[in-house]
Amino acid sequence: MDPNTTQILAKGIAQGAAFLGAGICMGIGALGPGVGEGYTAGKACEGVARSPEQAGLITRTMLIGQAVSESTGIYSLVIALLLIFTT
Amino acid sequence: MSKKMSLKTILLIFFVVELIIAFFFLGKTLHFGSQKDTGKKIWFEEKTETMNQEIDFDIQPDLYVKKNNVDEPWEFTYGSKWLYGKFVKMFGDGSAILNFRLWRMLLYLDIFIILVAAFIRAKSSKLPSKIQLIFEMIYGFIDDLVIETLGENRKHFTQFFFTIFLFIWLSNWTALLPIPGISEPTRNLNVPLGLGFMSIALVHFMSLRKRGIVDYVKGFCEPIFIMAPLNIVGEVSKVISISFRLFGNIFGGAIITLVVSSLTHYVIVPVGLNMFFTMFAGTIQAFVFTMLSLTYLSMEIVD
Repeated sequence: MDPNTTQILAKGIAQGAAFLGAGICMGIGALGPGVGEGYTAGKACEGVARSPEQAGLITRTMLIGQAVSESTGIYSLVIALLLIFTT
Repeated sequence: MSKKMSLKTILLIFFVVELIIAFFFLGKTLHFGSQKDTGKKIWFEEKTETMNQEIDFDIQPDLYVKKNNVDEPWEFTYGSKWLYGKFVKMFGDGSAILNFRLWRMLLYLDIFIILVAAFIRAKSSKLPSKIQLIFEMIYGFIDDLVIETLGENRKHFTQFFFTIFLFIWLSNWTALLPIPGISEPTRNLNVPLGLGFMSIALVHFMSLRKRGIVDYVKGFCEPIFIMAPLNIVGEVSKVISISFRLFGNIFGGAIITLVVSSLTHYVIVPVGLNMFFTMFAGTIQAFVFTMLSLTYLSMEIVD
C-alpha cells in the first residue's frame, strides 16, 4: 500500500476511535451520577414529607450532595471533550 | 469634588470607555504577537473563525499559531530577550495565561463589582432602596450560612465567602450578554483553578495558625506516618475536584447550548437552554463552590 494512504488511514482510525471512546466515556460516566442524584432526591422527598418545616434546609443539603455526586459525571464530560477536540 | 467622588467618576469613565471599545470592535479581534507578512506587533482582524474553532483555540494554542501565521501565540519581546527567556523557562510561553479575552472579561467583571459596591455604599441608608435590599438579602444569606457552619465568633469570614460567591455568580451570568467575543471567565480553566487554589490555601493557612506547626505536620501523618503521601494527594485532589466541578459544569453547559442552538437555527431554544444552564446551574455552582470551601474550612478550624 502507498505510505501516504496508510498515514491517512491511520489518522482516520485514530479519530474514529477517539469519537467512539468519547461516546462510551459519556455513556458509562453518566450512569453513576444519574443513579446517585435520583437516590438523593428520593431521600430528600421522604425527609420533606416527614418534616415539612425543614424543607429549606433539606433542599439546600440535597443540592450540595447532588452537586458533589455529579462531579464524576463532569470528569467524564471533560475527558470526552478532550477526546473530541484534541485528536 | 471630593476625593471619593473623583475616584468613582474615574472608574465610571473607564468602564464606559471599555464598553464603547468592546462595541466598536464588534466582530473584530485584537491580536498580539508578530505577524510574519507585515511584521506588525498588534493588529486587528475581522473575526472569521466560528465558535467551534474558538473552543479549539482555547484548548490548543498551537492551532491558533498555525491559522494566524504567527511565531508564538503571545510573544512579548519588546524588552530584553534574556528576561523573556527566563520568564518562559519559569512559566511556560504564557499562551494559556495571557489570554486577552479572559483578561478583558475579568477586567469588566472586576470594574462592574467595584462600581456596584461603591454606588451601593454611597446610596446606603436606614430606609433601604430596592437594590440595597437585594444585596443585603444575599449578604444575609451567606452570613447566616457562615454563622451556622463556623460559629458566631468567626463572622469575619463572611466577606471572603461573599466575594467568592458574588464573583463566581456574576461571571457565570456573563453568558447572558448577547455580545460576540464575550464569554464566561469561568469557562477558562485558569479561573476556577485559581479560585480553588485560593480557597484551599486559606484553609491550610487558618489550620496552621490554629494548631501550630507541629500539630499541623502531625495532622498529615494521621493514622500512621506511612499514610502521609496519601493524605497529601488527598489535599491536592481537593483543589482539582473543586475547580474541575465548576469548570466542567460551565464549559459543558456552554458547549451544549452552542451545539443545540446551532442545530435548531437559534429559534427560541437558546432561551430555555440559557435559562437552565446559565441562570440555574450557574447559581447552583456558585453556591456549591462557596459551600464546599466553607465546609473544608470548618473541617479544619471548628473543634
